[in-house]
Parts: sequence; structure tokens; C-alpha cells
Amino acid sequence: MVATLAAAMLALASQRQTDTTFAVPAGASLSVNNFGGGITVHAWNENRVKVHGDVGRRGRVEVSLVGSTVVVKTGSREGAPSVIDLDITVPQSMGLTLGGTYADITVEGVQGPISGETVNGEINIRGGKGIITLHSIQGSVTLADASGRIEVNSVNEAIELSHVTGEIKVETTNGDVTLTGIQSSSVDAGTINGDVVYEGTVTDGGSYSFGSHNGDISVSIPERANVTITVATANGDIDASFALPMTNTAGKHRKTFKIGSGSARMELESFQGDIELRRPQEMRERIEEHKHDHDNDNDNDHDRDRDTSFSFHFDAGTWNYAARYAKAYAPKYAKAYAPRYARAYARMYARTYKQSYRSTDTTSH
Amino acid sequence: MNDIWMNRLSEYLDGELDSTERAALDAHLATCGVCFATLGELKRVVARAQALEDSQPDKDLWPRIRARLTPEHGSAGVGGARQAATTARRRFTFSVPQLLAASVALVLMSGGAVGIAMHQQPSNTPAPAAARLHERGMVAAASWTGTTDAAIADLQATLTQNESRLDTTTVRIVRQNLAIIDRAIAEARIALQKDPGNAYLNLHLADTMRRKVELLRRVNDIAAQS
Repeated sequence: MVATLAAAMLALASQRQTDTTFAVPAGASLSVNNFGGGITVHAWNENRVKVHGDVGRRGRVEVSLVGSTVVVKTGSREGAPSVIDLDITVPQSMGLTLGGTYADITVEGVQGPISGETVNGEINIRGGKGIITLHSIQGSVTLADASGRIEVNSVNEAIELSHVTGEIKVETTNGDVTLTGIQSSSVDAGTINGDVVYEGTVTDGGSYSFGSHNGDISVSIPERANVTITVATANGDIDASFALPMTNTAGKHRKTFKIGSGSARMELESFQGDIELRRPQEMRERIEEHKHDHDNDNDNDHDRDRDTSFSFHFDAGTWNYAARYAKAYAPKYAKAYAPRYARAYARMYARTYKQSYRSTDTTSH
Repeated sequence: MNDIWMNRLSEYLDGELDSTERAALDAHLATCGVCFATLGELKRVVARAQALEDSQPDKDLWPRIRARLTPEHGSAGVGGARQAATTARRRFTFSVPQLLAASVALVLMSGGAVGIAMHQQPSNTPAPAAARLHERGMVAAASWTGTTDAAIADLQATLTQNESRLDTTTVRIVRQNLAIIDRAIAEARIALQKDPGNAYLNLHLADTMRRKVELLRRVNDIAAQS
């Protein structure tokens, strides 16, 4: 094994683009650390790991086995860190620990525990089973078709979970949280500056908590749900597309509704935003409509591309930093940043105007 | 607050009421929103407290505990008693003011703020944030925030020292998001000034401050690793 890996390391170090494949023991896990570029992991039905790396002229990839963990590290043979795209194929049940700084993380079809952490990069995962933790500072996080104990965290972007089963905890600061097709008895989702959407099960005895400071909260309540819903908003409205039997109010900011036996508990809290309760079908239609809007909105500013002009903000430091690194780095990441900034600023301005409108509206009454 | 059932909620949750009292309280909960909401908060506090990891006791502690066990306790055997000790359900009895204080403390603790704050207490100061809340009863004008503010200030100072290790994009994004959180904190504080005893506003402020603590800690960790 060691000889195989050593050979793999040499092979990876000496070519611009290379592949290596080696057998791994049952139960082995994978740990990848890639400063910049992409980490893409696929699954196959073999007890072997295949590492493909676009290493460029200066980059290098080191592969080693530490205990039962396959460790993949990238680096540079000289100067600043290299941008390397890794494409790795692993046994389906392999556990993954993937980390980077300027790395986009993509996983397809793995059915083991997954840990993904990046600073400036997106995380897109399809699959995963067991403990799944995904963290990004500047990058959206999407997770689909996963099950287990899920913790997803971003700071400046949106989080989307679809067809996920298990205990779910999701949090971002400046972005929307969208949870669809969820099967869970425990969901805790929150953002400061964004909307929260939940379409999923409401299980008897379950616990559901959705919160935002500036955004709206939209939750689907199945018709036969047994749930006690506590709704709190300081400045927003509460709206339901069905009759809500209010049990009582506790203080001026909090109301409680009991549906069926009230077995599950749900807390919906938004300081500035509205709270909406919808039936699942209605919610699904709205989500589809929203997706359709996005499909016609290539710059993701939620206007179906009616823009006539738009200004982007790039500070000098951003360009200087990018320029310090490889030629491939700057165009790739500058291209990636433009739509991200457009999205973030469009969202921020939309909320600012919305709040201004609200306060104007309040004072005029 | 004069509700006769209010102070029985903790016993209700611990299953200590007899069947008659329990039925009466069930009936009361169906009509009293305040008690119902309070019970919800209580459940949340207990759930969070139960989710906290047990710290490992001193390895020499067990012989002393065993020595103090009565014979009837001892008859279960050491293994049995140990198992009972680890699997026994944690019980918590709160008054309503304690409940709110504990809620705020637990929200902050989950982000490590209380830990930091307590760490910063001089050794001759016996009362950390949660204990002080306990003494004062209802959280008047969110006085608990002072300790967390101090913890946040320390984390921000550390970030200022270390942010040169981060690239300008990350620094700008972090600052932008800290500003968003600061604005949310300011808005929650203003609302709380008008309604200091409001449980939702207290918890919302605590949760927003926890987010700030978590973001600062996370970015400091990233800077330290850079």
C-alpha cells in the first residue's frame, strides 16, 4: 500500500494532469485538503480510490495513508499556493472530510458521512449518510438526497436542502434558507438577512424551529398535522391559507395555535418579516414558480433579466490578491465573483428598500 | 405571573404531578397561552441542557461517591449505579424568571459566549452571567448582555489583530456580515428597551449575539490556521 501511494505521489508530482488508482481497506475514509480550485468526489462500486488532479506546472498532490484514512493534500513546488482541480472517485460508503480555502466542493453519490468546509467556495452535495456537516463563509451550500444528522452553515450565501431525511440544523447570516422535500422530526433553521422556506413533514412529537431577523418565513403544514405552532414577530404580519385555531396570545409579540392534537412543536420567529403558513401543494407550486423565475434570471437578481444596467463593486485588494496567483486563478475566480456580488447586493438592496417601505408605511398611518 | 399553575410546570414536565393534578393542568394548558408558551420554553431549555455534553469527572471521584452511597443504593452494584448515573434523566426545576434566565444563558452557551465570559470573570467574582440573572429574576433591560458584549469585544480585538492573515475579500465579507448582525442586535435592543420582560425579544437578542460570537470565533479560527 505504502509503495503504491508513494508511486502515486511521484506520478502526481511530475505531470500536469494525472490519474492514480489504488486499493483501500474496507472502512477507509478520505481526507482532502486543497487550498484553491475544486474538490469533486464521485462514488463507484469498487474498493479503490482514484485520484485525478489538474496540477498545472507548479502544483503537486500528495497522497498517503494515515491509519485507515487516505489523505490527499495539494501544494505548490514553488511560490504561492497553486490552484488545483481534484477529481476523486471513492467507494460508495466512504466517509469524507473535505476542506479548502478557495475551493468549491462537489460530491455526487457517496453514501457515507461527509464533512465539507471552505472559506470562499460553494458546496454542492448529492448523497451522504450519517453525520453531515457543511460549512462555507462565502459560498452557497446545497445538499440533496441525504440522510442522517445534518448541520449546514454558510455566512454570506443561501442554503438549500432538498429531499433530506434526519435531524437538521441550518444557519446562515446573509442568505435565504430553503428546505424542500424534508422528512424530519427535528429541524432548526435560521438566518439574519434572508427568507426561510420549509416544505416537509411535520411529525407527531417533532420539534421545528424557523427564525429570521429581516426575512419572511414560509412553512407548509400538512392537512393532518398535529402541531402546536408558536409564532412571534415584532414588526411583521402573520398569514395562513387555512383556518388557524388560536389557543391564546402570550404578550403582544407571540401567538400560539394548536392544530389537531398539537403533538409536534413548531416555532416561527421573524423580527421584521412576515410569517406565512401554507398547505404543501400550495407551497410546492410557489417553489416551482420561484425556480422558474430563477431559470429566466441569468444574473440571479430576481428580476427575470429586466436589467438595463448594473454596477459591480470590486475593490483593489481583491484584484491584487487574485493577480498574485497563477494566471488561471484570476479569470476563473473573478468570473465567479461577479454573479455572487450581484446576487448579494441585489438581495441587500431589495431588503433595505423593503424595510424603508415598511417604515414609511408605518409612519404614514 | 399569579397563575397558580405556573410554578407547577416544572413538576409537570418531570412527571411529578399525580394524575388528577396532571389532568387539571392539561385542561388549564388548553386555555392558557402564557402557561403553554412557558411550558414550551421550559421544554426547550431542558432539551438543550440535556444535549450538553457531560464533562468527565475527576477519575478519583467515584470511590468517594461510592463510599457515601447508602447500602440500599450500593446493592445495585457499582456497575449498576454507574449505569444509573449515566442514564438517569437529568431533571431541572425552574421558576419562570429562572427559566427565562436559563434560556438566555443556554442560547449564549451554545455559541461558547458564556464560556468565554465566565473565563473572563475575575476569580473573586462568584456569579457568572446566568447566576446573576437568577438573582435578579426577570431579565430587566437585558442587563445580561454586558458580559457577552465584553466577550464579543475581545473576539473582535483578536480579529482585528489577525485579519491581515485573511485576504481582502474574506475580510470585507466578514465585516459586511458583522454589520448585518450588529444592525439586527441594535434593532432587538431598541425593541427590548420598550418591552424588557419580553421572552421572545430576550431570546432573539441572545440568539443574534450568539451568532456574532460564533462568526467571530470561526473567522478567528480560520485566521489562526492561515
